[in-house]
Amino acid sequence: MASRTPALPLNQSLRDITTDVARVPLHMPARVPWLIALILSLALLALFLASITYLFARGVGIWGLNIPVNWAFAIHLYVWWLGLGHAGTLISAMLLLMGQDWRNSLNRFAEAMTVCAVICAGMEPIIHLGRPWFLYWMFPYPATMAVWPQFRSPLEWDVWAVLTYLIVSILFWYIGLVPDLATVRDRARKRGWQVFFGIFALGWRGSARHWAVWNKTYRTIAAIAVPLVVSVHSEVSLLFAAGQIPGWHSTIFPPYFVLGAAFSGFAMVAMIAIVMRHTFALGEIVTERHLDVLAKVLLAMGLMTAYGYFFEVFDAYYSGETHEIATVHDRFFGEYAWSYWGAVVCNFIPLQGLWFDRVRRSPVLLFLISTSAVVGMWLERYMILVTSLYKDFLPSSFGHYTPSFWDWSTYIGMLGLFMTPFLLFVRFLPSISIFEDKEVLAREKEEAAHG
Amino acid sequence: MSGKRVWRSLEEYQRSDAFGEMLKAEFPSIFDLWTVDRRQLLEVMGASLALAGMTGCKPVRSDDAVPFVNRPEGFIEGRTGHYATAVLFEGYAQPVLATTSGGRPIKLEGNRDHPSFGGGSTPFMQAAILDLYDPDRSQAPLFNGKPASWADFDGQMARWRDSWAATKGAGLRLLLGPTTSPTMLRQIAELRTMLPLAQVHLFDPFGGFDRVTPSGLRPIIQDADVIVSLDDDLLGPGPMQATNARAWGDRHGDIPLRERMRLLVAETTPTQTGSKADRRLGVAPTRLPSLAQAIATGVGVSSDGVRLTQKELAWTKEAARALIQARGRSLFVVGRFAPPQLHSLAIEINRALGNLGRTCKLATPVGLTSQSTEPFLDLVRDIGQRRVSTLFVLGANPLYQAPGNLDFAKLYATVPVTVHAGLHVDETGFQSKWHLPLPHALEDWSDARSPDATATIMQPVVRPIYDSRSAHEIIASLTSDQPASSKDAVRQTWAAKLPDDASWNGVLKSGFVPEEPQPAPTEPPITNTAIDVPRVGDGDFEILFRPDPTIHDGSFANNGWLQELPKPLFKTTWENVVALSPADARARGITSGDLVAVEANGRRLTGPAWVLPGQPRRVVTLFLGYGRSHAGRIGNGLGYDAFAMRDALRPWNATGKISKTGARTTLATTQEHHMLDAEGEGVVRTVTPQHPSALREGDANQDSFYPPWPGDKPAWGMVIDLDRCIGCNACAVACQAENNVPVVGKDQVARGREMAWLRVDRYFAGDPEEPETYFQPVPCMHCEQAPCEMGCPVHATVHSPEGLNLMVYNRCIGTRTCSSYCPYKVRRFNWFDYTTDAPSPTEAQRNPDVTVRGRGVMEKCTYCIQRIEAATVQADIENRPIVDGEVMTACQQACPAKAITFGNLADGGSAVRKQRSSERNYALLAEQGTRPRTTYLARLEVEPGDGE
Repeated sequence: MASRTPALPLNQSLRDITTDVARVPLHMPARVPWLIALILSLALLALFLASITYLFARGVGIWGLNIPVNWAFAIHLYVWWLGLGHAGTLISAMLLLMGQDWRNSLNRFAEAMTVCAVICAGMEPIIHLGRPWFLYWMFPYPATMAVWPQFRSPLEWDVWAVLTYLIVSILFWYIGLVPDLATVRDRARKRGWQVFFGIFALGWRGSARHWAVWNKTYRTIAAIAVPLVVSVHSEVSLLFAAGQIPGWHSTIFPPYFVLGAAFSGFAMVAMIAIVMRHTFALGEIVTERHLDVLAKVLLAMGLMTAYGYFFEVFDAYYSGETHEIATVHDRFFGEYAWSYWGAVVCNFIPLQGLWFDRVRRSPVLLFLISTSAVVGMWLERYMILVTSLYKDFLPSSFGHYTPSFWDWSTYIGMLGLFMTPFLLFVRFLPSISIFEDKEVLAREKEEAAHG
Repeated sequence: MSGKRVWRSLEEYQRSDAFGEMLKAEFPSIFDLWTVDRRQLLEVMGASLALAGMTGCKPVRSDDAVPFVNRPEGFIEGRTGHYATAVLFEGYAQPVLATTSGGRPIKLEGNRDHPSFGGGSTPFMQAAILDLYDPDRSQAPLFNGKPASWADFDGQMARWRDSWAATKGAGLRLLLGPTTSPTMLRQIAELRTMLPLAQVHLFDPFGGFDRVTPSGLRPIIQDADVIVSLDDDLLGPGPMQATNARAWGDRHGDIPLRERMRLLVAETTPTQTGSKADRRLGVAPTRLPSLAQAIATGVGVSSDGVRLTQKELAWTKEAARALIQARGRSLFVVGRFAPPQLHSLAIEINRALGNLGRTCKLATPVGLTSQSTEPFLDLVRDIGQRRVSTLFVLGANPLYQAPGNLDFAKLYATVPVTVHAGLHVDETGFQSKWHLPLPHALEDWSDARSPDATATIMQPVVRPIYDSRSAHEIIASLTSDQPASSKDAVRQTWAAKLPDDASWNGVLKSGFVPEEPQPAPTEPPITNTAIDVPRVGDGDFEILFRPDPTIHDGSFANNGWLQELPKPLFKTTWENVVALSPADARARGITSGDLVAVEANGRRLTGPAWVLPGQPRRVVTLFLGYGRSHAGRIGNGLGYDAFAMRDALRPWNATGKISKTGARTTLATTQEHHMLDAEGEGVVRTVTPQHPSALREGDANQDSFYPPWPGDKPAWGMVIDLDRCIGCNACAVACQAENNVPVVGKDQVARGREMAWLRVDRYFAGDPEEPETYFQPVPCMHCEQAPCEMGCPVHATVHSPEGLNLMVYNRCIGTRTCSSYCPYKVRRFNWFDYTTDAPSPTEAQRNPDVTVRGRGVMEKCTYCIQRIEAATVQADIENRPIVDGEVMTACQQACPAKAITFGNLADGGSAVRKQRSSERNYALLAEQGTRPRTTYLARLEVEPGDGE
């Protein structure tokens, strides 16, 4: 199925695409900015390591947690990171299965972003534990006491969901990467690069048989990955919905969380796409049309998330439950109203700009709107946690929550854990799919030739 | 061969006598086993070697002590023992049974057989055990602040004795804290005969400093149908709290309406008594004489008219009517802080109503009074005139507690020789030439009387941990070079009543001296001088000085349990507050936590404001007991010192000004001000005789997809009667003592991390100026459909076959899901390691049957599972089912009002089952479908005429 307008400019050759993309790892074009970014990331990573060292030495009391707000940053960021990651899978796998060619310019780094985000997400529940050294009790290993994990617990589902998701994401990303690794291997001049890429290219020669097997595998994993997005984030939402706390105990949570996750994820992909496009001068491959399509998806996801907001409020009043209504009131007017209104404003107000073609095609505006959505979703996750927990049922146990220095340092440091591997990926691997883009270009040229 | 003794094996090493002795003391039950089992031996070795550092202060039970008489049959010696003795509160005996384990006292319970206490306790009784293990206690005599020995002191004493013998004690003064000890009274009398020129002064921070007429009226509140209290906090902290609460509990709850006690209270600052009153009136202290006069007129004792406000008029009319209607069964009481004229009036009113001898009686005070000694102000005068050469301060802390206007510290420094004996090197001890450590009440022999005059022989339950000497021996050594030991002194006092060992041992076992002849009551002199009502200028506030609700006079300042115990009405911890009314706060733009300056009596202090619903307008309450500089590591530097602002002649009231300083402080509160609005609907419930059912719409629907728990096992359950609960917190401290609940400190409490397994929630309802106040103890609900159990990923919180919601500490990895899901928020988390660094020897208090929790695990109320298991084991041994009442939770046992019932719900005849079938029974958040095993009985609100 051909698009109305070509996804890629037709005035470039197939070779141009290979050169454009493969030169990034082999002859780094933006060495200085990359180095600065890496140093910054490593500094953040060091902050993260320092924070968790102190955390493991003293205990989770270094954070601002208390009874009743005994979940905050670690859990809210867990949801946030995982949400960011979902767009990668959606872009790569779902659009692959749906034959949306435009994804071919975005899927590779989106997948890489997914892997990095899931690693961060997976860290959060571990550092959140009171006794992290007993993490392995969450796994059904053959213990001498014959004690098993408790399979009714949403936290146990979490373990499986995140692990499955991480493995499938890595597999999908790596399998998609194999043909391009071979391309870079073949173009590499230095022996070291040849060996490095040679090992990971798994002896790819591009034979028809290779392609046939590869296609089958890639599409199978894509088919596995797509439902995972829905199941993983639905499951994450059950972490809250399974509790009886007003503001959590709602059936809207699974779709609400999945859509919110996709929303923040697409925003993140748009941000990365714009930055890479600019830094590595890939304007011919990640085109304005790509931005336009991304923006439309973002708008659609945002509006569906907004529906979730609306329905949550409606639900509370419709139920007539005093505590549910009180929680909605607290979100509107309470101590943490800033997080609610911050989420509403950041998520939905700038988003409306995307109704306009000019805004969608403007990298700067799209970048700003995407940033706003990522921040907005951060606030939303915070809001869902804190505004529900700080006032639940008994007025006597109402409390407050203020993040401590260590809450912030762990979070900000974790950005380093996200960025460092991503920067290494950008530097050392073909960050845009060469062969898939060539495929698109070839087909588009053919269509153009046939008129 | 000389030199070091070598050993080839651990077996050989442990054969050494010293080690064996220590082993025997630390692990008496294991001691018999260790030669048999090598593996166990090694375990013991490891533990004992770790304890070796403590051999210097190892607590050992005194061999003279006699176990409690009602020891359950078949009880294994060496495990736990129970000894009847008493701890002191304001010098009065608070009878307790001390539970010892391995020679260490670990828990105090009320003495069930005691005629007036009947097993009830107070937070102070429960917390007294922690004072025993206070690491900041004075450990050896000090001379000029430097460590000295008792031999040094004895040498000095011998020289003083010679000079006093020559001068008949001229210049020698004794300053004693409040005491009711018959032995002490005897020793003082003897001292007076031997050294007639020596003088004995009383220092009672709550009794007045001049010569004060004691009230002379002893209420018997359990016999009163109607009580009218004029600022008397009957149910609040005091030596009679447990006995009053017991009477309160007996006359409330599920009893016929006509047996119900009716309580009318007019008070100058909100108290627990006012909270529980059927009719409460908040008044300024200057209005008390008018109210008393109006009631006197109402019952026909006087004919003077007074001018009253509408509300005052309504209250006094109702009070007078109630007093008259229940003539002979009513009681009119006046608070200890009211002018003596009102106490005389109270006697008149009760006499006129025919109450005297029925609901109250005239009685001579049981302890030392300012009548039987010289007043403190005389001492102050004499020091000023340089007539005091040697001053012994025994069990008092005048440098901290003396009224600020006396500037006693400066005077004290001018006395040539000062000797202080006390538990701590406190403010007075620090400034004295000599400081002598006194033993804790559980460490040495003494005696004391409870407020109803019943005497208890206080027997030691542990050998003194530190190098202390009893006050009885110190007093005796003033006149004798061979002073009798404290035990001999006490036996000598009781030689007539308890001549032989049998009677002596009997009294030690039971914990009180039965049927003593009481001295004939004397009519106290009537004070009928005009009451000096101070004029309160415009913009001035009336200032009240009141003991702190948990620290009292400051003597409990170094007790972590009491510091962290939320004050019953404010729910603040770790400091005192300046209480003012909501209207005054609004007018001055003050909110709770604002630092306000209070100026009165020419002094100024700064403290955090607390807007207290129910506080009368233009009245500010200051709380005594804080602002200490030498209390110890826990109590130093907390709060403000209100003692310094007091005036010796008017110690309870002042007039002054308050102003906002602009600064704020973070108060460590465990509960915010929450009026009961829509959100709190149904949390605390009240019923009336017309509408006796506490059930609401939605409560009844208990459908569940899950099958019910199998019913062949006991089903443990608890019912808490809100009609009986007086909010005293005895349950909370008892729980802390029983379950090794750590103290986490002010900073952690301010962050919302207090560890109390059982909290007493306080709610206000209605007009903030005249609120209804409710108390609600909240332990774990032990839900049958527990949300927490479903959330834990590792099976760390599970359901027991007996319906307990168990917490498996070892298995917990700290995801805190259980707490997030808990609708009652009763779970507590170890955010840090709260236990390892507890200073020695506080860990000696820990209950060996309860796991000490480490960092990163969740904990919560277990229904005292260790007690359930102990009873189950005992019943199994005896091959019988557990009897109802055999298992008592710590909170239940401590409750003086018997508001808590615990037992087997599956047992049709159990008390808890009966309570649960009461119409007043309701479950907290029943609509959540959690099916709590802990339920509540709604508070009953009865109006006059309801019973007819």
